[in-house]
Amino acid sequence: MSATTKIAVHSLADLKNTSDDALPNYLTSLKFKQNHTQTDIRLALGYTAVAISGALFYIDWKFGWEVTKPYTAPAVIAYFILNTAFSYWIWFVENGVIFEGEGKTGKLRIQTSTKKHMPVYNLTAIFTPTYASGSSSSSKSTTGPQQTLHLRAPFTRWFTADGYFVAKPFQQWLASEIPIIGAADPKNVVEDIGRGNQTQTEAERVLNLGGDSNVLEVLEQLKKGAAAVGGGAGTGSSAGKGGKRRK
Amino acid sequence: MLGLGNLQPRQLATQLLNFALVLSTAFMLWKGLSVATDSPSPIVVVLSGSMEPAFQRGDLLFLWNRGLDTKIGEVVVYNVKGKDIPIVHRVVRRFGGGKTPLRLLTKGDNNAADDTELYAAGQNFLTRKEDVVGSVVGYIPFVGYVTILLSEYPWLKQAMLGIMGLMVVLQRE
Repeated sequence: MSATTKIAVHSLADLKNTSDDALPNYLTSLKFKQNHTQTDIRLALGYTAVAISGALFYIDWKFGWEVTKPYTAPAVIAYFILNTAFSYWIWFVENGVIFEGEGKTGKLRIQTSTKKHMPVYNLTAIFTPTYASGSSSSSKSTTGPQQTLHLRAPFTRWFTADGYFVAKPFQQWLASEIPIIGAADPKNVVEDIGRGNQTQTEAERVLNLGGDSNVLEVLEQLKKGAAAVGGGAGTGSSAGKGGKRRK
Repeated sequence: MLGLGNLQPRQLATQLLNFALVLSTAFMLWKGLSVATDSPSPIVVVLSGSMEPAFQRGDLLFLWNRGLDTKIGEVVVYNVKGKDIPIVHRVVRRFGGGKTPLRLLTKGDNNAADDTELYAAGQNFLTRKEDVVGSVVGYIPFVGYVTILLSEYPWLKQAMLGIMGLMVVLQRE
């Protein structure tokens, strides 16, 4: 969705849908290859059910109830089984996934949701970073552990007061918070300024940008040391919320 | 509100599917009810006042068509060969049954004479198995009046379908 579309800023559905549409556009522009398998399975389930119903409608209309009778019960059962599978797929398998794909910097899966009457975009990113050939020792690309990030941001961050979507802050938010997007689009990574307790987060961010697994190990060592001294070190998975680590 | 023009193919397919699922689910629920009651049209609306005071115009009737041994006093819905509109009347006499096919004579509570004149030419009774759509087992007063309006003013039907379709396609709530 381009910046030319105006939406009603008080419609949460419009805010979410516009953001949901912008996100795959942005990621595919960063050469993330979108994987549509889940969507395609959902569409296949739905359209098969509709086809069964359509066929039943046709033979019922063409030949009447007496002829159609033996086929009706199996068709109805098959339809509702498919319909249940369709709902199950949406609620439990897709579960709000709006993007699944893979890029040079790793695999990425993004779910979004909103809570009623709260103009806040909740985003869950599950990603497996791929580190390109490092600076020194190994030339192979290595895959890091799968990580999960829970992010929240108000829609006001990328919507103007009169309802226009502005891509830049949206992209900056994603690139800055999700390391593998930041690695694919370093220009959009912005740093928050004026927050004293942000250092650890920054270190990890820089590290993910550099993409060197050796540094990761060194940092782990340092963290262990710090934990022994200060007892306050956490893990990297909650890096999105730097502000929470105050002692 | 989002236009259809700027949707991706998969989004367009999803929107169309949502619309198709609304229609097909309604149709399949209806067919499921048909199977359960063994009746080609398990819910009918009373169109005439011939059964007053038992049923008024616009009452919604629920039919049951299992157990074909219809007794005198039951209210049945039947189709007359060559006519489209089903009729709701009470059974006043029965012939046969058991090994011979059950035949029924019906009459509207509010009518002076029995239904022999309503039947097809040369027909003096109803054959239970062929003509009757089902016996009335329950009703909701007045709800069916919407369908009477819709059938008397056909343009209402098209307008309503059109609006429903547009809403489903254009909204993504």
